[in-house]
Amino acid sequence: MSPNAYLPKLAKIVSIKEEVGGVRPIKTFRMRFVGDNGFSHQCGQCAMLSVFGTGESMISISSSPLQKDYLQFSILKTGRVTTELHELKEGDVIGIRGPYGNTFPVEEWKGKNLIIIGGGIGIAPVWSVLHTALGNREDYGELSLFYGSRTSADLVYSEELEELKGKMNLHLSVDSEEEGWDGFVGFVPANVLDKKPSPENTIAVTCGPPIMIKFVIANLKQLGFEDEQIYTTVENKMKCGIGKCGRCNIGKHYVCIHGPVYSWAELKKLPQEY
Amino acid sequence: MTMEKILPKKSFAPWVKKLAGFEVYAPVEKDGVWIYEAVEDLKEISPSYPNTVQAPKKIIFPQTETLFEFDTDEEGQPTLTETLPGKKDRVIFGVRPCDARAATLTDIVFGGTINDPYYQARREKTVLVGLTCNHPPSPNCFCPSVGGSPHSREGLDILMTDLGDRYVVDAVTEKGEKLLSKAKNLFTKPTDRDRRELATAFTDSEQRIERSLRDANQLPGKLKKMFESPFWDEKALGCIRCGICTYLCPACHCFDLTDELTSASPPKGRRIRTWDTCQFPDFTMHSSGHNPRPDRASRLRQRLNHKFQYFVEHHGEFQCTGCGRCISRCPVSIDIIDILEEVHDHES
Repeated sequence: MSPNAYLPKLAKIVSIKEEVGGVRPIKTFRMRFVGDNGFSHQCGQCAMLSVFGTGESMISISSSPLQKDYLQFSILKTGRVTTELHELKEGDVIGIRGPYGNTFPVEEWKGKNLIIIGGGIGIAPVWSVLHTALGNREDYGELSLFYGSRTSADLVYSEELEELKGKMNLHLSVDSEEEGWDGFVGFVPANVLDKKPSPENTIAVTCGPPIMIKFVIANLKQLGFEDEQIYTTVENKMKCGIGKCGRCNIGKHYVCIHGPVYSWAELKKLPQEY
Repeated sequence: MTMEKILPKKSFAPWVKKLAGFEVYAPVEKDGVWIYEAVEDLKEISPSYPNTVQAPKKIIFPQTETLFEFDTDEEGQPTLTETLPGKKDRVIFGVRPCDARAATLTDIVFGGTINDPYYQARREKTVLVGLTCNHPPSPNCFCPSVGGSPHSREGLDILMTDLGDRYVVDAVTEKGEKLLSKAKNLFTKPTDRDRRELATAFTDSEQRIERSLRDANQLPGKLKKMFESPFWDEKALGCIRCGICTYLCPACHCFDLTDELTSASPPKGRRIRTWDTCQFPDFTMHSSGHNPRPDRASRLRQRLNHKFQYFVEHHGEFQCTGCGRCISRCPVSIDIIDILEEVHDHES
């Protein structure tokens, strides 16, 4: 008999970082399991976080599988569970079950250039790809990151972004003019079109608001990227994470088991139900 | 091969009496409707009870159940206590063949590579004893159109057929055999006359079904082509989002997981699973407010696509066994047979 899939494992919050303040705050939590757990994830997978007494929420794992010390989740305060998570302190214990879903095929991408394109909190699921490529730097070609948010204060991982300058092609953007900003001004898709990355031996991975993803893909296509060279990750409301509760489907695909990672070649065949 | 036996009706109650240790469920009439309930002293099965309001699914997959309890100590350390069910042996009498076939479908959902220990614990401990529908228990029965029959053995451990003064009792599984072996002396071998009458009962049972669904095997392909059609808007206009079609469906399995507190600080309570339905607007709503299935049309389409397209593509079976409950009980007369009939003629 396999272990009870509904029973979370206990994990302690080892650090909390306030990434973004204001009315749509984002915090990054690092968690460590209490005792042995057998948890091992891959790039792009999610986990179901439990605040006992409030409920569960499916969150992308933003740390790379190479990071063995902790699991990282960057969480936008938006619903009941994420609001409770934002109330927690270091040392508090939550539940985690998973990992769930398929993965970015980072092994297949070895030898290729990677372009990571994120918008807002959508940077979290692709952050594990970035760190996997950085951790195995010699396995990949050129590395580029396009990342934008409404204002510079809304950029997640701002300190890390500073450190990444010079280590890769970094193309940051904000939606509108602001004082002291020397990066691109405009939406993420426009930044991509402006920098014209070459599709030659390259994979583009994007995640962000649906409208951003839509235009990023259109612009990548304009630059000559094939559908098979473009990857994204999809979210839908989830409860079980194991293909039984019936709500996260896009057509016949359950996002929790068949997704969340899709190449555009795969996703465009599915109905617009996400 | 199964081997039929004969049980005189007067021997039914003595057989049930021999099932000491089993919790016995049967269809009973309560407040003017028929439902499955645990019964203390089962003397007979009504030969002609209509379709129960709810399928016996609720006994194996209850509408609400606790998955685990949590308790938090003063230091904030939670302790989880798993609450697996299924310690009791159960037997359900009078299961309609459509509801038993539906159990084989929920078996697929709750089995697989990641099994559901709550469902499986109850399923393993439950013996399903079916009754051939000599007369269709609902005017909306259409089981033969979706691969079933009023005397189907699929999913059953025993099939009983009422021949007036006696039952033909057919043990389908080992679990069923065991139940018969509790009272071997009550059963006799069938005579030629029994066999003839059984064959007639089977043929008659099929012929009495009034409704049917045309060419169900063509539906997955047809439905796939009409995802974007305004057809769904028109068909869903009457829907009042009550969800009864799914709550009464023997094959529907969607659920919600929520926490219930018995004490707020430090948190103590339980995680519960509750039936949920694709017909409720917030079933798929993201916390951002975005909803991939925002209207009644997309939700009706989901119900039919799930049953007649997605499940077929994944498992090779319709996720509908033709019990007709969703038709009979819909307060606004949404009728899946009528809708699917129009799907056949729809120009994509």
